Amino acid sequence: MREAVAVPWFSAGLKEWIFTTDHKKIGIMYFVTGLVFFTVAGLFGMILRFEQTSPGFQVVSPSFYNYLLTGHGAVMLLWWAIAAHIGGFGNFLLPLMIGARDVAFPRLNALSYWAFFGASVIVLLTLIPGNHIKMMWTGYPPYAAHADAGVTAYYVFAIHLLGVSSIATAVNFITTYLRMRAPGIGFWNTNLYIHSLIAANVIQLIGVPSLAGAVTMLFLDRYLGTNFFNPALGGDPLLYQNVFWFYSHPAVYVMIIPIFGFFSEILATFSRKPIFGYKSMVFAIWGIAVISFIVWIHHMFTSGVPDWARVLISYTTVLVAVPTGIKIFNWIATLHGGAIILRSPMLYTLGGIFMFLIGGLTGIPNAMVAIDLGVHDSLFVVGHFHYVLGMALTMGIFGAVIYWFPKITGRMYPENLGKISFWLVFIGANIFYFTQMVAGFLGMPRRYPDYPPIPEWVTLNQISTIGALILGVGVLVFLVGMIKGLTSGEKAPANPWNSPSLEWQIDSPAPVNNFGEKPPRVEPDYHPYKYGAPPAF
Amino acid sequence: MEEVLAYPAKWWNEAVLVWLVVAVVIYAVTALPGIYFIVKYRFKPGEREIGDQEKHGHWGLEALWTIVPTIVVLVLATYSFAVFKKQRTVPEGAMTIKVTGFMWGWQVEYLDDKGNTVKTVVTAYNPTSYEVPEEQKIVVPAGKPIKVLLTSMDVIHAFYVMPAKIVEDAVPGRITYLWFQINKPGEYWVFCREFCGTGHSHMFAKLKVVPPEQFALWLKGETELAKRSNDI
Repeated sequence: MREAVAVPWFSAGLKEWIFTTDHKKIGIMYFVTGLVFFTVAGLFGMILRFEQTSPGFQVVSPSFYNYLLTGHGAVMLLWWAIAAHIGGFGNFLLPLMIGARDVAFPRLNALSYWAFFGASVIVLLTLIPGNHIKMMWTGYPPYAAHADAGVTAYYVFAIHLLGVSSIATAVNFITTYLRMRAPGIGFWNTNLYIHSLIAANVIQLIGVPSLAGAVTMLFLDRYLGTNFFNPALGGDPLLYQNVFWFYSHPAVYVMIIPIFGFFSEILATFSRKPIFGYKSMVFAIWGIAVISFIVWIHHMFTSGVPDWARVLISYTTVLVAVPTGIKIFNWIATLHGGAIILRSPMLYTLGGIFMFLIGGLTGIPNAMVAIDLGVHDSLFVVGHFHYVLGMALTMGIFGAVIYWFPKITGRMYPENLGKISFWLVFIGANIFYFTQMVAGFLGMPRRYPDYPPIPEWVTLNQISTIGALILGVGVLVFLVGMIKGLTSGEKAPANPWNSPSLEWQIDSPAPVNNFGEKPPRVEPDYHPYKYGAPPAF
Repeated sequence: MEEVLAYPAKWWNEAVLVWLVVAVVIYAVTALPGIYFIVKYRFKPGEREIGDQEKHGHWGLEALWTIVPTIVVLVLATYSFAVFKKQRTVPEGAMTIKVTGFMWGWQVEYLDDKGNTVKTVVTAYNPTSYEVPEEQKIVVPAGKPIKVLLTSMDVIHAFYVMPAKIVEDAVPGRITYLWFQINKPGEYWVFCREFCGTGHSHMFAKLKVVPPEQFALWLKGETELAKRSNDI
């Protein structure tokens, strides 16, 4: 397998791809798989949107709608919001940013990908009509143990394989960061992306077993007659929700913290200025990681848990606003006194921060238990998390794709398409999700393929669909830009943005052996955000 | 005095307003400086090619935007706690009804003074329409607090009283509750808000709020009908 590593990705054959242990190739495979699933889940989302545009069933049956919605949620969250960027960019960037040859356990890394691939195959199997799963990505029992929910086993096994993949990746990344930094790279001059990536993987390592436990109990209940969640025989459905959210709430930070890392890298580069408050950024990242584990009951505010638990968790949940607020304020302060260049990665980053700001402010009503009692499980929640997880995250990834495109592919992403796609995505998403939030405040429940013709709901849903169409076109333009950049983009210099960060100090695309035989020489005063000369473009 | 349509919606509306004001203020102090900086500090070749390298942190500022948001969110959470207490404390003299969710409808039981069921309304699953026959409407008196005891026969549902802006899950094996009071007679929506399968979006009910006298008649009339059928 040594020879497979010696081939750069663009001249690698199928055999090299399958047997590779190279972190860059694995990263590319992760991202491409994630992107394909993102596209399909996005199309699912479009069908959902068309169905909801007006009352009545026009496009799909309610049962097929539930399948599409389950698929959209599970795939967007687990394939796009976790695997595509943690597996994709995490793999590609971690060794390059810390000056390492590869990750600590390259073969384990390949196992991670192939376990993820296995989960992908299982999810594709659910496309066969008899195999639909319809219990939503949350899979709450007793419904998930009911025949109406479809083939629960597919869901359980997909989660198991993803769990194997995530845990192996977490072990790998954490070890790599702890043991394989080039001399001179310490805790206080590591890229913020790496800090956030490691924090996210620590959450994964602690949390994923909890999710695996929840779905395993679900499997046993459904197929082997145990009664963990069956109240008729002494079980409790709320046990599942607790065990499920104990991971799945922190998981939203697994998804978003690395995106914060992208924001910090890109914002600093295109402001030509060190990130403001680097140390408080690091503390904020770890603060979010710690708080993330004590807030899960806010998903259960109306589930019948005792009132004292709701109030307690209401307090811990609002505290999440503090470290995330620190990050937003620091980003704004980074702009102060900068030399700001509005290239498309920067636009995506600024747009993503804007979306996160709105998403954060609309998160407060979900945390304030009094307001949540009125908006829980309404479209407001859907709009809110599409601001944070949906768009802040997707814009972060799109920005990262354009920003690291030269390092990954050796070519530049076409700037005009980057800008066009940004404005379409940004405007479309705001129309789309803002109207959803308003509809939620007016009482419209989520997960409704049909609804009574209440005039305000109908109007809002129609506006929402217009936004969705614009957003869809924007995503399409972005994908076209990727293909165009790959096939005919201009050749990229080694360091087009003139960034001092380590990954830009090697050729574009990154050579197979990264920095060569020896670790890179890191100056004693190295810092990833110390900008000197203006960028080369 | 201004007429209040429903409780706890009144307090909920106030809480939303408080949040909205705070959110708009936070938005303004965050986004406006951001936009100003983007406009002002632009890269200009030969003139402004590098940002100010010295502006990489300020402990005072960072402490400020740690401490102030902490205070703001703790105040908001405490305010929410106070509202929550009112939302969860059933007023004296409330009328209790028992609501049981099933796939996909509601069974509503009206109780007498001793807690025996005197009348039952069951909504039928209608997968295509949102019309409700008169006898399937959930009738409650106007201006009187109603305590709803919730549970479920099969999977988890949630009982959302739209005008009252309150929802609570109906969980099999558990009894949960919520209370509401609607002051204006009329017909209002009730929706299931916890995903419960194929019929989820058609698991709804019409809440018919009537003046108390009319409610008493409605309840009694049916009770006598029930007795008569027992006699036969």
